[in-house]
Amino acid sequence: MKAFKVHVDEDLCIGAGQCVLAAPQIFDQDDRGLVILLDATPPAELHEAARKAAKLCPARSITIEESIP
Amino acid sequence: MHEDFAALPRFPFRRTDPTQPPAEYARARATRPVYPVSLWDGRRAWLLTRYDDVRAVVADPRFSGEFANPGFPAVTAARVVVDRNERAFVGMDNPRHDHYRRMFTKEFSARRMMALRPKIAAIANRLIDDLLTMAQPADLVAHMAVPFPSLVMCDLVGSPYEDHVFIMECAAARHGLTQTPDQAERKARELAGYFLQLIERKEQAPGDDFVSRIVAEHVRTGNLSREDFAEVGAMILRAGHDTTTNMIGLGTLLLLGHPEQAAAVRDDPEVVPGAIEELLRYVSPVQFAPRRVALEDVEIAGVIIRKGEGVFALNPAANRDPAMFDDPDRLDVRRDASHHLAFGFGIHQCLGQMLARIELQVVFPLLLQRMPNLRVAAKDGEIRFKDDMQIYGVHNLPVAWS
Repeated sequence: MKAFKVHVDEDLCIGAGQCVLAAPQIFDQDDRGLVILLDATPPAELHEAARKAAKLCPARSITIEESIP
Repeated sequence: MHEDFAALPRFPFRRTDPTQPPAEYARARATRPVYPVSLWDGRRAWLLTRYDDVRAVVADPRFSGEFANPGFPAVTAARVVVDRNERAFVGMDNPRHDHYRRMFTKEFSARRMMALRPKIAAIANRLIDDLLTMAQPADLVAHMAVPFPSLVMCDLVGSPYEDHVFIMECAAARHGLTQTPDQAERKARELAGYFLQLIERKEQAPGDDFVSRIVAEHVRTGNLSREDFAEVGAMILRAGHDTTTNMIGLGTLLLLGHPEQAAAVRDDPEVVPGAIEELLRYVSPVQFAPRRVALEDVEIAGVIIRKGEGVFALNPAANRDPAMFDDPDRLDVRRDASHHLAFGFGIHQCLGQMLARIELQVVFPLLLQRMPNLRVAAKDGEIRFKDDMQIYGVHNLPVAWS
């Protein structure tokens, strides 16, 4: 099975909110407007949305680790 | 060593088709994508015309976004002066940028902006009520594109709506291409002074608004001086008034020129969010941005940008890059354009982007639904395009309906 893990680096976040638009099931914003990771290992049907969020993040605070063990 | 750059093309360029970016961008992208130009002061700067180069450079630490850097490029002498005096985080590199920006991020979060949707729709509906009583043709810019974001901003910030004409004048003085340095700088100071008074009023009589909350959380606690808050406030007022306005004006003109796409925006709520991203891509009103200055010699696509030289990472060019958007000059409200760069990229990406999205998602369907057979009613040459402004759009848009 393919491993898929989402990481966020809150220190880089600028609160643009692109991730919340792209994948609201995976990302939210906290009471400062900064990223919260709701689901670090989302189901396969959300992988594309997670990749899109990582691509759209202007501060590059989202990374995705994908591997085939 | 003195080099003569007078033979280089002078930037900015004129548009030949007023609804399209300058033709030079596509030509440069095809032949010399990192493109040398001369500026008003005779200095050389570089245009980036490819999507990947724009995204890479604005996030590259070898380039600075410090407006105070003597090499930071600007399209007019007036803009140089206001840039050098800019004190808001829009003109700072990290770590200072994030330190200040993070005091304001929650005010513009996706959730908070989405919660404003009913209020924003009520403002749009009220303006349409007024428009429907007016003689035709009526100017959609004067009666919708200008007052709508103004009313939303004034409500959000807590500034009196009567002040919006003054705020617009201050924005125009900064975003114009024809002002003298004195005029631009005076208006910049006046707007910061205006915001400082607003802060002082909210300190006396707090309300449920942006200024009162920032005062309570950051000014009273000593994180942020009143003067620094006033600079950020002035930036937010300018940005919130002058950008959405231009998206509405030019966006409406474009949609009305594509009746089938306008009908989809009118009738299908599922189309609307994507249509707004596509209109943002297509219009890219903040047309000479983002800007950077090289902190060392850097090679981009085989070209050496010298330390101290300026770069215009052109949003309008990146957003028409065929490597990223199929048939990029075709408006297609059904395409996925969400990766457009109209809000910029990197740490300076637009703070108010969620507000802008919701304003635009609300206003276009309402205009098309409530103004049946909405159409442009301009004589030849009557529409004045903003060739005199750094933020592009239309000065007027005469429309009729039935």
